[in-house]
Amino acid sequence: MGTESLLVLFFAGLFFAGAALIVSALIHPTSKNPQKKEPYECGIQTIGTSKIQFKIGYYLFALIFLLFDVELIFLYPWAVAIKDFGVIAFIEMFIFLVILLLGLVYAWKKGALKWV
Amino acid sequence: MKAILFYIFSVLILACGIFTVTSRKIYRAAIFLLLTVVSVAALYFLMEYTFLGVVQLVIYAGGIVVLILFAVLLTHDSGSLLPPLGVKRTVATFALTGTGLTVFLYTILGRKVEPGSGEFNEPSVKMIGGQLLDLYNFGFVLPFEAISILLLAAMVGCIVLAMKFSKTMN
Amino acid sequence: MIITALIIAISVITLFAVLGLVLVYMERKVAAFMQIRLGPMRVGPWGIAQTLADTVKLISKEDIIPNGADKFLFNLAPLMVTVIATLALAPLPFSDKWIIWDSNVGVFYVAAISSLTVISILTGGWASNNKYSLIGAMRSGAQIVSYELSVGLSLVAMVLLSGSLSFSDIVMTQQDAWWIFKGHLPAWIAFMVFIIASTAELNRNPFDLPEAESELTAGFHTEYSGMKFALFMLSEYINMFIVSAVAATLFLGGWMPLHFGQDNFFNHIMDYIPPLVWFAGKVFFIIFLIMWFRWTFPRLRIDQLLTLEWKYLLPISLINVLAAAWITVTGWHF
Repeated sequence: MGTESLLVLFFAGLFFAGAALIVSALIHPTSKNPQKKEPYECGIQTIGTSKIQFKIGYYLFALIFLLFDVELIFLYPWAVAIKDFGVIAFIEMFIFLVILLLGLVYAWKKGALKWV
Repeated sequence: MKAILFYIFSVLILACGIFTVTSRKIYRAAIFLLLTVVSVAALYFLMEYTFLGVVQLVIYAGGIVVLILFAVLLTHDSGSLLPPLGVKRTVATFALTGTGLTVFLYTILGRKVEPGSGEFNEPSVKMIGGQLLDLYNFGFVLPFEAISILLLAAMVGCIVLAMKFSKTMN
Repeated sequence: MIITALIIAISVITLFAVLGLVLVYMERKVAAFMQIRLGPMRVGPWGIAQTLADTVKLISKEDIIPNGADKFLFNLAPLMVTVIATLALAPLPFSDKWIIWDSNVGVFYVAAISSLTVISILTGGWASNNKYSLIGAMRSGAQIVSYELSVGLSLVAMVLLSGSLSFSDIVMTQQDAWWIFKGHLPAWIAFMVFIIASTAELNRNPFDLPEAESELTAGFHTEYSGMKFALFMLSEYINMFIVSAVAATLFLGGWMPLHFGQDNFFNHIMDYIPPLVWFAGKVFFIIFLIMWFRWTFPRLRIDQLLTLEWKYLLPISLINVLAAAWITVTGWHF
């Protein structure tokens, strides 16, 4: 099948998960209890909000990831076409990758990849 | 069949786009943005343009939306509702989007667009790669290499900004 | 058309159910034998019906949504993770005839779809309104996002050698020998990087920080119970299957029997074993490897985890891509 199989798979997955949840909802017991719905913290009362703030280090990794992700997209067509072009294509990608490796080296030296 | 699917996905794109803007929960807005982006990818898949569809998934759904989610988690108390828009802002928003829509519709409807004739052939990944690497036959080697410098500049920029920010925070 | 669609849907759902049952049983048995135990033995002979009983138990468990949780997102996350796992099955060649969508961008597509799993994990963790969940989700986010790069780069190395993004083409290039045998050093490095990085992407030991039970209770699915928890577990195992299937197809020839050279006696004997058996054998071998890791390596700390990716695997796989390109250009592989 062609791309329409993706639609079929989408609905198959949705049906599978939905059916499991619905069957479970029909037979599982429900008992009301005020303590049960508290956030689970191993028996201790929750202090403050659960939506805690994270440090910027996480975001930095996501940013660097995005840049390398964009680079990866250029690698795929290059990888498929390289056989037709030979050494020229290799040199072109070598320049491309070395410039990006410079970025990684910069991030490394600046300590952006360090987890403190 | 294809036409029906096209309209379903278009309605999905529009509806999720509107939900993205109107949702007062910042995380839900990001998830609606994800649905918008995935529906656009679905349109590409519908047109059998699979490579572009996958690129859309990788960059927008797997990259940008994840970045936005990380940014949401960085915000202080991301669980609370955003303040509702005042009258002034609502009016301004409608005026701006209205103007944008009119300009777009004017430009699009002003031109006569001929429906494409003949079969649409997806450019193979090999062709795309060939265009990127070709030195002679109208290839795009220079822009291709320039992209790497652009990415390098972006990386240096974000590291400088983020490191400065984390220093002032500590 | 509709009949094909129905067949696909039914077989995929069956595959889901069977894989869930088999892999959980296998995990428990492998764990047991690694520790010189017997594992589940009570339900059925050798305990083979244990996972079935577990499923019945999970279905009849109460579904708890904690106070302050975002109900819409809380319910959406398990659905999303299942649908993503289903979609990733599309371009995998199960045998020479069994392939749902013979896409010409298959490898790229699987990489793209599996990168969406992180969104459902983040959503589930955030919507739970629980600190453990949020910390687990955030760790998982940073980890999956980082290791995705190494997975992508090792895929590119194999695409370079085989010259195609389509899984069925890649299998056909291995008619004379599997890539692990004829790809020299770049194929071996790519294989190792792929296995390590995918183990991290699956959040499995030794990279199971997102659900480190000694610090975070259960990580991002702390608040999930009953069937929703089961869906998270199930899609984790399905993702393990998908990763192993990709590795088996790219490096170990997929459904291609063990061949050496062209058209000789040995190849003809190997052809008697059906392709589906070859595929399943290779996939389960890699699944066994990943399970083996769990009882061999201790868990990493988060800084070690990120150092391993950004300072070792990423540079290694970048250079490996160049090495693979050089081999392809000069035609050094057999």
